[in-house]
Amino acid sequence: MSFLSALRSKVSELGLFDQANAEKKPSRDELFRDEFHLPESQTIQIDSAAEVSLHYNETAKNSQDFSSPTTSPLVNGESHVNHNDVFWSGRLFLTEQYLIFKDGFNGRDFNFTIHLSTIRKVERLPSKSYVFGLIITTFSGLRLTIQFIGIRSNSERFSLLLKKSLDTNLGCVKQLKPFLKTLYSEYLMFKNSPAGQDSDLQIPAGGLGLMFKFPGNTKKLRDKSKMRLWFEFMKVNGRNLNIVKQEMFYKLIRVGLPNRLRGEIWELCSGSIYSRYENIGIYQQILDDNADKTSIAIEEIEKDLNRSLPEYAAYQSDEGISRLRRVLTAYSWKNPDVGYCQAMNIVVAELLIFMSEEQAFWCLCTLCDKYTPGYYSKTMYGTLLDQRVFEALVEKTMPILWEHITHNDIQLSIISLPWFLSLFINSMPLVFSSRIIDILFLQGPRTLFQVALAIMRVNGEKLLKTTDDGSFIQVIKNYFGKLDESAHPTSKNETYRQITNFQELLVVAFKEFQDITNDTVKSYRRKHKNSVFSNIESFIKRTQIRNLPKLPNLDTNNLSNIYDRFYQVLETDNIQKGTGSSLMNFEQFEKFLSQITGWVIVSNVADSKNQEEFLHRLFVSWDSEFQGGLALSDVAIGLNKWTYNDLMSMIKTFFDLYDSTGSGYIDKEGMLQMSEGIIYLTRPLREGWVFDSITQREIDQVIAKRMNEYKKLLAENPDNEDVISPPNLTVDEQFYRHRQGERYLSAASKFLQNCFSYARPEQEIDELKTEDHLISIHDDDRKSDYGELATEEYIDEKDKKKSQSLKANKALDPDHPLAMDLPTFRMVILADESYELFFGEILASSIDINKPIKNAQSHFNIRNMFDTLVADGRKVANEVRRRIDDVQSITSPTASTFKRSRATSSASKHQASVDEEEDDDFISSDVGTTDTDLLKGAEVNVLNESKDNAKEKEASSA
Amino acid sequence: MNAKSSTSVKLVLLGEAAVGKSSLVLRFVSNDFQENKEPTIGAAYLTQRCTINDRTIKFDIWDTAGQERFASLAPMYYRNAQAALVVYDITKPQSFIKARHWVKELHEQASKNIIIALVGNKYDVVENEEEGSEDSKRKVSIEEGKQLAKDEGLLFFESSAKSGFNVNEIFMAIGHKIPDTSAGAASVNDNRNSERVDLTVNNDSPVNGNANCGC
Repeated sequence: MSFLSALRSKVSELGLFDQANAEKKPSRDELFRDEFHLPESQTIQIDSAAEVSLHYNETAKNSQDFSSPTTSPLVNGESHVNHNDVFWSGRLFLTEQYLIFKDGFNGRDFNFTIHLSTIRKVERLPSKSYVFGLIITTFSGLRLTIQFIGIRSNSERFSLLLKKSLDTNLGCVKQLKPFLKTLYSEYLMFKNSPAGQDSDLQIPAGGLGLMFKFPGNTKKLRDKSKMRLWFEFMKVNGRNLNIVKQEMFYKLIRVGLPNRLRGEIWELCSGSIYSRYENIGIYQQILDDNADKTSIAIEEIEKDLNRSLPEYAAYQSDEGISRLRRVLTAYSWKNPDVGYCQAMNIVVAELLIFMSEEQAFWCLCTLCDKYTPGYYSKTMYGTLLDQRVFEALVEKTMPILWEHITHNDIQLSIISLPWFLSLFINSMPLVFSSRIIDILFLQGPRTLFQVALAIMRVNGEKLLKTTDDGSFIQVIKNYFGKLDESAHPTSKNETYRQITNFQELLVVAFKEFQDITNDTVKSYRRKHKNSVFSNIESFIKRTQIRNLPKLPNLDTNNLSNIYDRFYQVLETDNIQKGTGSSLMNFEQFEKFLSQITGWVIVSNVADSKNQEEFLHRLFVSWDSEFQGGLALSDVAIGLNKWTYNDLMSMIKTFFDLYDSTGSGYIDKEGMLQMSEGIIYLTRPLREGWVFDSITQREIDQVIAKRMNEYKKLLAENPDNEDVISPPNLTVDEQFYRHRQGERYLSAASKFLQNCFSYARPEQEIDELKTEDHLISIHDDDRKSDYGELATEEYIDEKDKKKSQSLKANKALDPDHPLAMDLPTFRMVILADESYELFFGEILASSIDINKPIKNAQSHFNIRNMFDTLVADGRKVANEVRRRIDDVQSITSPTASTFKRSRATSSASKHQASVDEEEDDDFISSDVGTTDTDLLKGAEVNVLNESKDNAKEKEASSA
Repeated sequence: MNAKSSTSVKLVLLGEAAVGKSSLVLRFVSNDFQENKEPTIGAAYLTQRCTINDRTIKFDIWDTAGQERFASLAPMYYRNAQAALVVYDITKPQSFIKARHWVKELHEQASKNIIIALVGNKYDVVENEEEGSEDSKRKVSIEEGKQLAKDEGLLFFESSAKSGFNVNEIFMAIGHKIPDTSAGAASVNDNRNSERVDLTVNNDSPVNGNANCGC
């Protein structure tokens, strides 16, 4: 069962993803949040054109004693606005908690993201002219002069809103201090300040690397000089929650981050620092809340803990393993739809070398959402999609290599899949994969593509010589093993010789493939997602259908249709509700049945009570696991039960529905409900929406009669063919509709009457229990030949046999409650021609599981509730044509229509006036099949159309 | 053509997580065993050569990830595969159910003539148990495995990657069933196949160096 449920959730997940795909244009806020890596909670409050300059204040207070913010000596802003400062023009945004600026040139020359809680002071720029400006000072001494551009009222509104937001964020200020203690940058700044020299400041909780050494040779990596550069940068530009990013910021990341600062810059670039700041304590809380729980994900995580970067010392220790366990477990609880996917263990193991648990947790969340969407999901659609995108990009950028790959049937996507899934971590040594991740967090998902493409490009010539997967993989494996070697070992130029393969790879990736932008990736994803999704969907569908039990009434085609409808109903509904359940609730069940049956009408006013009663009963009886919802298998098994093409089975199915306790008996109340149920089910017949075979026979009979007269007339006047008008083939439908309605109404009352007449008192049942087998034997006998038995006689017989004495005396006696068993119920049904027909044929065929979904939207447009009942116009036309063709094939063309009429009329045992031996022979031999055909035709709704077709056919054959 | 003909066989391993797929391959390719093997991400590729009768068979082995969600990647891996090992763990009934699903999936979706071997791994766990003992760790009987193999027309083995029991035998049995596609026999196969094989034969030498046969 776990396998099935896993698959079910896969499908539901697909449904949810479809929602994201509904080509819904992202809102301005969404785009904004994506661009600046802000949490969901942020929206643009106001924005304005502005010019900004940065003024570094040497006397800035250090973060460690920022708690007395107002002691800043700078009160008058004027003296500090240096008019030689460079002003950057661009756009300034205010969200609930952030002040953000982006320069108007490329958005990278000068921009900042400042959390409002870091702002210590806002001063009005003494205005010398029309300029409206503010000076903002943050706790770390960052001073920004902002001059608004545009109409003054807007600028003033901005400043007013800023003031308001600052007030509402006062609460956050308290959280700031402890938060800053988790940041290495603050530690670094303080340690190198005069005050920090002689204090024993605690180093913030960080990655495992602090305890177990960072991978690689720190000397060789020149970590110290990198750190100094960052120190200088942050002194001027601020850091973490108040940082100005200028070109130097990007440069410092591109040369590789110093190990100790790496984790913080990762969370800063990805924006996970903002989520962490917004959700202080949540990580621990998730762990505490789920401390004693277990799940499949946890089992899977346990299996992999000892096999995640096992070569790194920390992961041979309890400390490393338990950090890994906690982060993975917390994520599986936070995002149960993803749970745990192999490869996440490797990614988290890498994150934890450089980050604290809490940092790694939030970074993982952001990574999964924004950088590797769908990679680790239960279907891994993101992984599959991006491999497809990668192949497409190889095809576009390296057509010759692509041609070679396809020609030799090399499965590139299989080879590249682990690169993407584990962010190159287990493909190349950690020192190199860390640097790719540096850039990934800075530049977004395109990084993975750029690096992967560069691997292809750099090895292009060697790859062109390979002819199978094995040698192709070997070339790349060798390359990954030589990343630290010189790319030009034989070059005479010293500088050239010093360039390593890895450096060359980065140059190729980010120079040659700089045109591959995140938008390129997005548009390729859009382009290929449909084919990737349909592959996944067909895989899941195949698997799920294969895992259903064997169902005699449903073939693969039926199951496929049921599957499609089931999930369509679920998806559209779940999208609206935003849930991912793969169980069908009652409303969805109603909707589902309304699509395939004639009797369920959503928003059914006339019969709502009966419908609900019946459907509820059905719903409960199909709910095999008593979970208040139907799984696909429940629906398939249920439908299988209700589509027996066999009278006795259908009667039993119906009986069982009302015998919910399985006692084998139905009490008086149950009988009443049964009657209501049948009345409800036969509504389309009662109202004359469809004609049953009895009515159809009557109609056919009338038409046949007219045809015969026409033929006769033709025969009598062979020369006047043109003159004699063809017979009128339309009938007064209203009349037949009414007549049929009456018939079903009387059947209903007869049913109840018979129920009470033949049901036995409960006490008697107890006594008779030993006799039961006799009755059932009798019943089995009947089963074989019921078709030929005149039902009326049969009833009489039964009547006499055992029910006579009970009749009319105990029916309504409250002291002797009645109960009915299955054989009695059968008898009662068989007592009525209409009901016998209903259970024998109409009920099963009123559930149309053959009808495939026309398109994704079809169920929104239920034009005709009843076109699903039995057939649509086209099917009817075909049916009529087939019937005519059947007859034509065994008789001469001229006589065909005539014979058809004869056949039908004789089937109703009302012979037409003309009697010929030949015809009788034909009837006696073929009555069975003709009858069946007619019965099928009888369930036809679109009567006129059928007649039109028949007319046409007749005209052409005549 | 040489007297010793060479055939390349694409073989894929499928089965639930941690039943020992990678370990079987490791045993076959390097005659080695590791207790804590890193999980396979996506799929791993290995090759091994065997000589069966007068034929050299080069197995191109795709060892796939076993975690449930990787299942939707499987069609990528078994595409064009000529042979498959469906592996289960004889101490885990769930893994046998999963194996059943894989066999069905392969019959429906993989190449028509794919040779499938059903392998019940971790025989070492029950090796020293008395037959039919009450607290046996064995949860899937050998009969169940045999029956499934018989019903579906599969080769069947119980093996142990840890002890090496029956491991080479599986690959040898598959090798025996692989039709001779080289030389004159090439025409029997469809174009794609023979093309693949020809190319492999032509480029045999560089690959030769990397594969060291343990057979």
